[in-house]
Amino acid sequence: MKAVLIDTTKCIGCRACQVACKSWNDLPGETSTFSDSWSNPKYLDADNYTRIIFQEVHSPAGDLHWHFIKRQCNHCLVPACESACPVGALKKLPDGPVVYNDDICIGCRYCMMACPFQIPKFEWGKAVPLIRKCTFCADRLASKQLPACVASCPTGALRFGERDQLLKEARRRIGASPGRYFPEIYGEKTGGGTSMLYLTAISFETLGLNRNGFRTDLGDYPQGMHGREWMAKVPWVAVTVAGLCTGLYYLNKRRAEVQAQEKQEG
Amino acid sequence: MVQNATFGKIGKGRAILIGLTALGILVGIYRLFAGLGAATNLSDAYPWGLWVSFDILTGVALAGGGFTISAAIYVFNLKKFEPLLRPAKLSAFVGYLVFIIGLFFDLGQPWRIWHPMVMWNPHSVLFEVSWCVMLYTTVLAIDVFIWALERWRKDDWVNFFRTIYVFLIVAGIVLSTLHQSSLGALFLLLPEKMSKLWASPAIGPLFFVSSIIGGLSMVTLESILSAKAYGKKPEMEILSSLGKGLGLALVIYFAMKATDLYAREVSVWSLGWAHLLFYVEIFGCVALPALLLYFPEVRNSTTGLLWAAGLAAFGVMLNRFNVSLTSYGGYRDFWYFPSAIEIILTVGLIAQAILIFDFGLRYLPVYPELSPHEVKTG
Repeated sequence: MKAVLIDTTKCIGCRACQVACKSWNDLPGETSTFSDSWSNPKYLDADNYTRIIFQEVHSPAGDLHWHFIKRQCNHCLVPACESACPVGALKKLPDGPVVYNDDICIGCRYCMMACPFQIPKFEWGKAVPLIRKCTFCADRLASKQLPACVASCPTGALRFGERDQLLKEARRRIGASPGRYFPEIYGEKTGGGTSMLYLTAISFETLGLNRNGFRTDLGDYPQGMHGREWMAKVPWVAVTVAGLCTGLYYLNKRRAEVQAQEKQEG
Repeated sequence: MVQNATFGKIGKGRAILIGLTALGILVGIYRLFAGLGAATNLSDAYPWGLWVSFDILTGVALAGGGFTISAAIYVFNLKKFEPLLRPAKLSAFVGYLVFIIGLFFDLGQPWRIWHPMVMWNPHSVLFEVSWCVMLYTTVLAIDVFIWALERWRKDDWVNFFRTIYVFLIVAGIVLSTLHQSSLGALFLLLPEKMSKLWASPAIGPLFFVSSIIGGLSMVTLESILSAKAYGKKPEMEILSSLGKGLGLALVIYFAMKATDLYAREVSVWSLGWAHLLFYVEIFGCVALPALLLYFPEVRNSTTGLLWAAGLAAFGVMLNRFNVSLTSYGGYRDFWYFPSAIEIILTVGLIAQAILIFDFGLRYLPVYPELSPHEVKTG
């Protein structure tokens, strides 16, 4: 299982990853607008699969610190979108990427509702729209190339590799410089675990990105499992209800026949 | 065929209904060519809007009368409800037909609406819902087709369908139980994006019971209103018994909801907007109609029944909106209110539903006294 370790303490906010992502995926550029932070674009959408959030946080001492948090599909180990999709257009590949099949999707947008990180985006500008999101450069991985964002990163903030080895590396970094990192890896267990693993200087609670796709209330259990558990019960409910209804139907019918006969005889 | 004199009152409204339907078709065509983004106010922050909350979730719940009455008669042996069976099934059929039309316009890829038939994801709740809805609509269509056969006096065919009638009844109840509850189970995947008042692991059973409320209240409303429209007397004896059933369903729902909130230790008392909507839903549209229906005076008067059933049906609608829309919040700095096109299309669908229902009542043996034909199967 491949993964990417995102060491946000090494990110300098150059956004080379955003440019590399656009150029590899052939996504159109757009006119920038000012917003309340230096983040640009302001949101992910069908033309922006990744962006760096420039988050300003006051430390307890009162200094202002900038945190650069890269956002893209987290490629969950048990993706909610995969459990949600009625036609199986979203799939977790054994290699790690969660990929989307253009030819199957019916455009119901349940994946958008279900994703705990709010990643799948819709082509609202098109007459016959599809879902768009980061693909983990599954096409590049297939030809032994690094994901475009990882290949473009000048500081080594993005590191591609086997997930368990990257987790070891992340823990090594935390152990080697305890002051530099918050001692938890976002994505190790978040929402059942993801293929994108985040090292941060402070906790995600303190970063305050709950409304920007980095929820801290997800727990360790994959959201999609709730749907799978429901589906596991469905056949039994069907058999039980069918059995009861058929039985009672014939019982009622028989009772009516007996009553009719008794009336005739009496 | 049928003279306008008999159906004069509907005749006046029909022009308006046809106008609204035509308007709905026009904006529907615009929606198909311009796309969802242009026609609706939906966005990445609000992927589901009015069409999902009303056309799909509310529509299916309010069309629950077909399976509820069928189960009452054939499973619980309450034979006195037999006169209500056909109108209930007809309204269910019309409801599902219109729901599928609404879904067609809501899908980003409408022409792929058939995909779930051949492209399967058995882990997906929505996959199960789409199969159940397809099959149940087929069952209802067969029912309606049998009435047409009766009208055309194809007695051999009617007799053939009688032999598989038990299969149709059981299939209808099983499929409805599954998809009515599974429509709630859709929201099991996103508890963190919903208000705790509705984000419950018990949302499946709650949706199921509230679909019974929706079905019973709609059957009551339709019976009284169509009796008025066609100038006949509503069958008050049956309807007041049905009112008892509706009251019971409301009490059960209230108890389930209270247990659920207590078990999850949700703080119920607050003046936030989510709580206010919750109070309207649970006290105004569940507790109040249940209380009203407790009194025989209410159950035995058309006005009383209209109010109680109207409140209960409105409550089911409010619940579906609260679950899927008002309580949903991914990004709080976004706001959604349906566009004019979304509203016009929805109104067009309602108008269309009434037109088809009216057509069915007049041309098929649904109400014995209205039908052009007297033969009746079970």
